[in-house]
Amino acid sequence: MNSMAGERERETEIMHGINLVRLRERVRTYIDKHHYESALFWADKLVSLSDGAVEDVYWYAQTLYLTHQYHRASHLIRSKNLDKTQLSCRFLAAKCHYECKEWQEALNILDLVENNTVSQLAPSNSFSVTRSVNELEKDPHTKELESSINLLRGKVYEAMDNRNLAMECFREALRQDVYCFEAFDFLVNHHMLSAQEEQELIQSLHFTTQCPKEEVEFLKYLYNSRLKKYDKPKDFHIPSPFSCLSGNLDLVVNLAERHYYNCDFRECFNITSRVLEKDPYNSLCLPLHIAVLVELKRSNALFYLAHKLVDMYPDKPVSWFAVGCYYLLIKKNDPTRRYLSKATTLDRLYGPAWLAFGHSFAEENEHDQAMAAYFTASQLMKGCHLPVLYIGLEYGLTNNPKLAERFFTQALSIAPEDPFVLHEMGVIAFTNQEWVQAEHYFKDALAKVQAFSKEVMVEKWEPLLNNLGHTCRKLKKYEEALEYHQQSLVLEPQNPSTYSAIGFVHALMGDNVKAVDYFHKALSIRRDDAFSTTMLGNVIEALMTELSPCKDEPDTIPAFPIATKIDTSSSATESQNGSSSLEDASDIIKEVEMEGAD
Amino acid sequence: MMADFSIWNLLQVKTDLITAHRECSQRRLINSAKWAAELSYSLRHVKVDLQPLASFQEGEVDIQEYDRIILATSYFDLKEYDRAAFFLQDCKSPKGYFLYMYSIYIAEEKRKVDNASDSIGPPDKMENEHLKSLRIKLSKKHAARELDGFCLYLYGVVLKKLDLVKDAMDIFVEALNKEPLHWGTWQELATLITDREMLLSLPLPSHWMKQLFIAQVYIELQLNEDALQIFHNLEKKGIANSTYILSQIAVAYHNMRDVDRAVTAFTELQKMDPCRLENMDIYSNLLYIKEMRPELAHLAHKCCAIDKYRVETCCVIGNYYSLRSQHEKAVLYFQRSLKLNPHYLAAWTLMGHEFMELKNTSAAIQAYRQAIEVNRRDYRAWYGLGQTYEILKMPYYCLYYYRMAQQLRPNDSRMIVALGEAFEKLDKLQEAKKCFWKAQSVGDVEGTALIKLAKLHERLHEDKLAAGAYSEFINQANIQGTFSYEDQSQAYKYLANFYLKNGQLDEAYEAAQKCAEYTENREEVKAILRQIQQERTASVPQKRDLRIDDSCGSITTDQVDQDHTPIRLSPVSCNLRFNTP
Repeated sequence: MNSMAGERERETEIMHGINLVRLRERVRTYIDKHHYESALFWADKLVSLSDGAVEDVYWYAQTLYLTHQYHRASHLIRSKNLDKTQLSCRFLAAKCHYECKEWQEALNILDLVENNTVSQLAPSNSFSVTRSVNELEKDPHTKELESSINLLRGKVYEAMDNRNLAMECFREALRQDVYCFEAFDFLVNHHMLSAQEEQELIQSLHFTTQCPKEEVEFLKYLYNSRLKKYDKPKDFHIPSPFSCLSGNLDLVVNLAERHYYNCDFRECFNITSRVLEKDPYNSLCLPLHIAVLVELKRSNALFYLAHKLVDMYPDKPVSWFAVGCYYLLIKKNDPTRRYLSKATTLDRLYGPAWLAFGHSFAEENEHDQAMAAYFTASQLMKGCHLPVLYIGLEYGLTNNPKLAERFFTQALSIAPEDPFVLHEMGVIAFTNQEWVQAEHYFKDALAKVQAFSKEVMVEKWEPLLNNLGHTCRKLKKYEEALEYHQQSLVLEPQNPSTYSAIGFVHALMGDNVKAVDYFHKALSIRRDDAFSTTMLGNVIEALMTELSPCKDEPDTIPAFPIATKIDTSSSATESQNGSSSLEDASDIIKEVEMEGAD
Repeated sequence: MMADFSIWNLLQVKTDLITAHRECSQRRLINSAKWAAELSYSLRHVKVDLQPLASFQEGEVDIQEYDRIILATSYFDLKEYDRAAFFLQDCKSPKGYFLYMYSIYIAEEKRKVDNASDSIGPPDKMENEHLKSLRIKLSKKHAARELDGFCLYLYGVVLKKLDLVKDAMDIFVEALNKEPLHWGTWQELATLITDREMLLSLPLPSHWMKQLFIAQVYIELQLNEDALQIFHNLEKKGIANSTYILSQIAVAYHNMRDVDRAVTAFTELQKMDPCRLENMDIYSNLLYIKEMRPELAHLAHKCCAIDKYRVETCCVIGNYYSLRSQHEKAVLYFQRSLKLNPHYLAAWTLMGHEFMELKNTSAAIQAYRQAIEVNRRDYRAWYGLGQTYEILKMPYYCLYYYRMAQQLRPNDSRMIVALGEAFEKLDKLQEAKKCFWKAQSVGDVEGTALIKLAKLHERLHEDKLAAGAYSEFINQANIQGTFSYEDQSQAYKYLANFYLKNGQLDEAYEAAQKCAEYTENREEVKAILRQIQQERTASVPQKRDLRIDDSCGSITTDQVDQDHTPIRLSPVSCNLRFNTP
């Protein structure tokens, strides 16, 4: 489009005393000011005045597009065969059909032209839109246009559920124009690529040829900050050359997202709340904020946010996602599913909603339905390991460790360094009684976690430490097991299962006193714990047989001298009924001699 | 350890107390402030120059935050803790930060108590969320070494609440080394110490407050004589009129079961400080044990008039109703006191006793368990647990709890007797014998150890030992003037049979005569007497022990069976509110 604008100033055309150039400028100004109807009116007149000059037809179609008259615009272009000759018109026509959700039609237009390459048909008239291919190659504007066409094609493919082709198109678009953030965003946000593929993509982009030297690093940094945030905990610092960007909300949200994936929910919440204070409807931040509200169980805040969102943006999936999350949080699963499916109908590709949909089933132990939802999610988000991980979890819960392991392996192939996946692999190894293997996985995961946060670990990793403890116990490394359990107690104090695990280790080590103590603690928090109850009974019994009866009691009991005089001065001991009418015994005071008892 | 009392330079102490009071009350640590003020009041004969002390010694930062802090503390005083926290958010000074964290802590704790359900039960897990987040914040600050003595105290309190006892202890010690003048820290630390060795191994600052701390720990560890020693030394040093010290002395006497001196101390305390409610619950325990009904009634009414809604008042009233055998009402008052403060140890234990009276074992177990949660050193709660499990016929549990109780009070015969009985039920007679012997050797309060020992010997056919024990029992019974007709008659009967078997006819006759004073065994005694007569005439000792053994056996089992039934439920023996020896 700009290409036309660029060439326009060369000639001034005056038709019937009307300065067409000025009129064209007027149309453009109206468009800029969003006065589409006025623009439409004058563009229409221009077409007649210039007798159908390509430029004027294009802008007329453009105004039609802007006033949502898609079919009319498309028809206009196609009736003049411009879609076959003009790249920009072709794009516009296809875009019109895309807007009407006529995917096939849009593709047809794009493909048709592809076959009869534009250049050969191009009647090179006064306008530069239709220059030869050779020239086109060099013209950056046309190159951008090609990129746009690829982007559109990708969107169409994606809408047609042909994700592989879509991915190719987006990639191509990005290669043709490294500044084409939209294509990048589609690739990243729709989780089309795995972490490694994303890296490769960034590597393959032609930064050096397409942008000025000083922007190369800048662009690389911005893109990198958007890449996979969850596959492994990472450090995040804004490098010094770009420190001026530290206030940029986009980057701040990225930071928050990393905190989120590192399970530092409170910090994430702090950041997202601050962002939303500055920019209450930041679309990037909202899903994150919703997720963190769920994690922190702030149902009231979520309720209010969801209400506001639904009022303002009823046609955005994120609003209904928020509502669904609210119901998920307060454990009302029916409405959860209702609202989440509303979100997914608005945008079939809205991954988080599918995952939450699965969670709502998982919560009720509806494993099959949960898995179905996760499967859908996994198809939508090829590059994201979470759905696969969840499927594995569900298989694990339904006692199907083999399949579970297969999915975990798949997850691991997507995100080889995610401690969560490593942890689950460890769990599977544990249930398969491969203790050494389990220990290996757990330690691996722990190393990944600790690599990032040495001094303060987050509570989320309490199960990992406990599982390490269990594994060490199985491997008979009791001291180490205790160490891990104690660590987990620091992360998650007063956890009854940790207490009973510690008790168990102590029992195995033969320290029954401590074992009893810990089982007691476990039971004081969770009274119906069958394991602890049984263990406590056994351990107390063992303890009481091994222990001395009471503190510093004698080994043998010294005997009392039996040689007693029966002191009968105690005739105070009157019999109860006072009928001590028997013989007077008071005078029977005698020393009774006995053999010394020993 | 006992004492370097030379650090008790009264002038210094007084200055310290005034400083401590100022610091604590500025931070709204009201209990520590009160304590400092009380002690300072008792030193009113010491003259110090108040001018430099009273003046505002604020740092520069504090002046910048001055407005924030006074606003927040005003809200704090009005119990609007969240509001206080909001205005303190950005405070940088240590004092501001402490008040900020402290407001959050108090706000959440208050919410927790307000939200707590009426039923007693294990605490809800979710309610500790705030403690966890406080811990995370404070541990980050601690790692950066940014916490002052007061913040460290708060950190320790949070850790303690989260049951991370070891860490809590380290933090308290660190806090004391930074801020020895904060009595609250000493007090929190005192509850964590489990034995004398641990006390000695702590790297505490040598400060005059340490003496008071050690005394308090001694009291908690039931080392009452040592504690009294320290207090008496302090009195000699010139701190004579301190209500705190006097109350501690009273508690020590109470623990030692020196009821009369304890009562005297409490009366004196009431004279000095008539409107005092602290420790009055212990006083009411004493009155309960002495069954001084009018005094207890008077105390109850008086406390009620001072403040109905105090834990101490509720406990006093609860005891009053318990003495009147209105156990439901008693439970109600103990529950009220727990509603006011769920961590009030005495009420949990007393409520456990009341539930025992009401034969509500499971509720009793709950109450005792909570008591132990609050303070693991409460031997009465352990003992109560032992009793409940005895009723529930879970002998090993019962044994364990008695054993815990006995460890806490090694020289209390009641625990040892209970232990012996538990062993007896498990047919571990050797252990049982050891326990009974030990019980009588430490001074038997209830006078049952010997007879039980004797019966055990009898059951094991250790005739001589049995005879020895029975005769010792009779001796003791005569000396102490305690009566148990059944036991005595049994003792005499056994002795009669024993002598008869050994051919000591005179002694046998004598014993039989004594035995005949009791109605129960009259027929048997007649048989014995007849037999003695026969023996005398035949002058040939005959072995007739078969029948005797039979009777003994049956009697023994009868006796044991009786023990199985919850005789401990009779109010006096059940309650550990020390009946007078």
